[in-house]
Amino acid sequence: MSRITACFQQLSTEKRAALIPFITGGDPKPAQTVGLMHALVKGGADIIELGMPFSDPMADGPVIQRASERALAAGTRLKDILDMVRQFRQQDAKTPVVLMGYLNPIEYMGYETFAKAAQAAGVDGALLVDLPPEEVGDIGELFQRHDLDPIFLLSPTTQPERIQRICQAASGYLYYVSLKGVTGSANLDTKAVAEKLAEIRQYTQLPIGVGFGIRDAASAAQVAQISDAVVVGSALVQRIEDTPEADLIDTVTAFVRELRNAISSEAPSAATA
Amino acid sequence: MTPADLLTRPRIKICGITNPQDAIIASQLGTDAIGLVFYQASPRAVTVTQAQAIVQALPPFITVVGLFVNAEAAYVRAVLNQVALDRLQFHGEETAAYCESFRRPYIKAVRMRPDTDVNAIAQQYPQAQALLLDSYVKGVKGGTGVTFDWQHIPAQPLKPIILAGGLSPENITHAVNTVAPYGVDVSGGVEQAKGIKDAAKMAAFIRGVPMSIAHSVTPATDTPSEFETQPDALGHFGPYGGVFVAETLMQPLAELQQAYTHYRNDPEFKAELDRDLHHYVGRPSPIYHAERWSKQLGGAQIYLKREDLNHTGAHKINAALGQALLAKRMGKTRIIAETGAGQHGVASATVAARLGLECVVYMGAEDIKRQAVNVYRMRLLGAEVRAVTSGSKTLKDALNEAMRDWVTNVDNTFYIIGTVAGPHPYPAMVRDFQAIIGREARAQMLEMTGRLPDALCACVGGGSNAIGLFYPFLNDAEVKIYGVEAAGEGLDTLRHAAPLNAGKPGVLHGNRTYLMMNDDGQISETHSISAGLDYPGVGPEHSWLKDIGRANYVAVTDDEALNAFHALTRIEGIIPALESSHALAYCQKLAPTLSPEQSILVNLSGRGDKDINTVATLEGIQI
Repeated sequence: MSRITACFQQLSTEKRAALIPFITGGDPKPAQTVGLMHALVKGGADIIELGMPFSDPMADGPVIQRASERALAAGTRLKDILDMVRQFRQQDAKTPVVLMGYLNPIEYMGYETFAKAAQAAGVDGALLVDLPPEEVGDIGELFQRHDLDPIFLLSPTTQPERIQRICQAASGYLYYVSLKGVTGSANLDTKAVAEKLAEIRQYTQLPIGVGFGIRDAASAAQVAQISDAVVVGSALVQRIEDTPEADLIDTVTAFVRELRNAISSEAPSAATA
Repeated sequence: MTPADLLTRPRIKICGITNPQDAIIASQLGTDAIGLVFYQASPRAVTVTQAQAIVQALPPFITVVGLFVNAEAAYVRAVLNQVALDRLQFHGEETAAYCESFRRPYIKAVRMRPDTDVNAIAQQYPQAQALLLDSYVKGVKGGTGVTFDWQHIPAQPLKPIILAGGLSPENITHAVNTVAPYGVDVSGGVEQAKGIKDAAKMAAFIRGVPMSIAHSVTPATDTPSEFETQPDALGHFGPYGGVFVAETLMQPLAELQQAYTHYRNDPEFKAELDRDLHHYVGRPSPIYHAERWSKQLGGAQIYLKREDLNHTGAHKINAALGQALLAKRMGKTRIIAETGAGQHGVASATVAARLGLECVVYMGAEDIKRQAVNVYRMRLLGAEVRAVTSGSKTLKDALNEAMRDWVTNVDNTFYIIGTVAGPHPYPAMVRDFQAIIGREARAQMLEMTGRLPDALCACVGGGSNAIGLFYPFLNDAEVKIYGVEAAGEGLDTLRHAAPLNAGKPGVLHGNRTYLMMNDDGQISETHSISAGLDYPGVGPEHSWLKDIGRANYVAVTDDEALNAFHALTRIEGIIPALESSHALAYCQKLAPTLSPEQSILVNLSGRGDKDINTVATLEGIQI
């Protein structure tokens, strides 16, 4: 069983939503990423989304754009990201790691080369933001052959026939983008999200994570009640930007713990089990 | 054309090449293509390393075909990643979906049995460029060495036929005279031993291929040419183009596609567009015979398509107007645009003012500094100019930022893209709006000179003025096409903007195309004296035209462009834009190689007034 599937099975017995923090690999410097990944786990992360920096992150807001710029300025390369996962795996064999980023660096490396290297490093899934199922071709199958779950986005405007298509192409989990716009935008409408998730669940048994617009413990707790996973990116990356390097680990651990406590206390199991 | 004009020599492919020496000899003898066998069970199989050495050794204009038999898709991809194959050829039981999944032009091989229905198979593989007909021998896949009964080949094949199976120097002439195929394929018939070719046999074989009228070039069919059917429903030009965007943009793009498909054929929409193009833009733009300059260069006659005389001074208004009218029909009240030098921003601000739409233009902070006059023009026209401070603070970052705005405000906002890049349907839509340049020019040249030009020349940044000129000429095989990229300070300096000449295919801004990038797939910063060409990508249709060889892409340096800028200004009294000066600079090289009876049509895409400060500064003059 894959780490991602095992993780969601465990969570379903605990009746709790997963917490999936996102950080950009190499931000602020490559040497800090592995330590930050362990800090995320220590704070209570269930799955880690690790961003692969790209020069032209078209779907990202300013916070994650700046993280990409910092990582690239510090010399981060795609192979370094894979190496960070490999190092992380030496101490943590359990926490799933999903790589998130844009297509071009992977296309340049070669899909087969990337898939092999990611598998060897201990990566569990890949979310390529600018690769919709219409363009995925054999890449999804190639990834699955290398034990990488292809993770796809769904949005408020995704139509039923495409929801179906995306659900068929995906494995591991699905990532629902909770609002129109780029990462880090404001205003989350929990009721609208709940309705769309109900629609998506007609087509799939896969767990559904919700991201874009979750800024703090309160919004994380709200989303945890209606989804299988809560993805927090910009709010965390903003803290990395604002924190002096010496305090990074503590700040990140504390913020993730705050989110995790908010999610756990909202778990339906506490009230109904 | 007389029947004699239709005689062509069938294309020749020598298959099963296993070493560079044989490849070089085959090329020198005049083969059109070579085949490399990626099928381990074949005695002629090559490894990736062998294949790389063979491709490296080949002279230009030889097509390299990779042959596969029921291979794993990942293996085919791995080979494609490492070997520069031009075409794929599938010999097993591959499905059409599998063959198409590699997004490369392909040939499907058919093993001919007495009951094989060639045209039924042609319909099963609609994307196949040709069918290769080979003999069926039980248990043998690929080169069988025996002929089949050519009577089973239909008289009116639906696809070009490549004849294979047991061809040799002895029977080739008879075969071509009997079958009249598009091409012939030989392997064992020209060998001295398995996998080793015999130079004398290859020479005799190639000499033996007679001229013939191939079924596939029989004219007067109503089927559209390959150029008219591009792109496919998802925006692919061969392996390029497509829709590489985040899920949040898929529905807005689908709605745009739907609206565009509807209105492009709507008589009222077309009438409104035509009216505005005539009365507001000033079309048709004239063609001018640059007689003094032609005489001075001492070769071909040079004709200029005067897009510089359009309202706002460049071709950009053609597509901005078309898109703004579409925005209005779609009920959008706000338009956004990205701009580099400011020409597309000015065109968008202009049509927004004309139609009473709110307008926001994204412009890199660096470009705002360099193009103060255009920034002020946009503000005069009522547009808000937003500085983009992310990334390299230039055109590509302005495009990123406009996309982010669009995805956030899609309900009331239309994004007017300035070039033939971006996700589908933008490359096709902008091309269609710009194709009026070529349609007018083609008719004007026929009227003025009685014939088509021998060559077309246009500058290529994103490539909208170029595709606008080229597109209506693509079926005119006798018209040579030159797209001119910005070589900046030289192609070997990294200070240029010439992805088609010095880049690699990749994915940026919603489409797959040639790009400038570093060795980690990160997009590079570019340089050109002309801000309008200063872009790391290029429209996907150009990438496709390059790969299929229909257009030639060349590059000229900043200095050469500047030289042509001065030449046209002084000799013809026309100040060209620095972008257009690149096309003129290549024309300056090309004209002396042609005769005075021949002609070159150059797209003078914009006027140079906007560049006067740049030129003056370079010459140390303070205005």
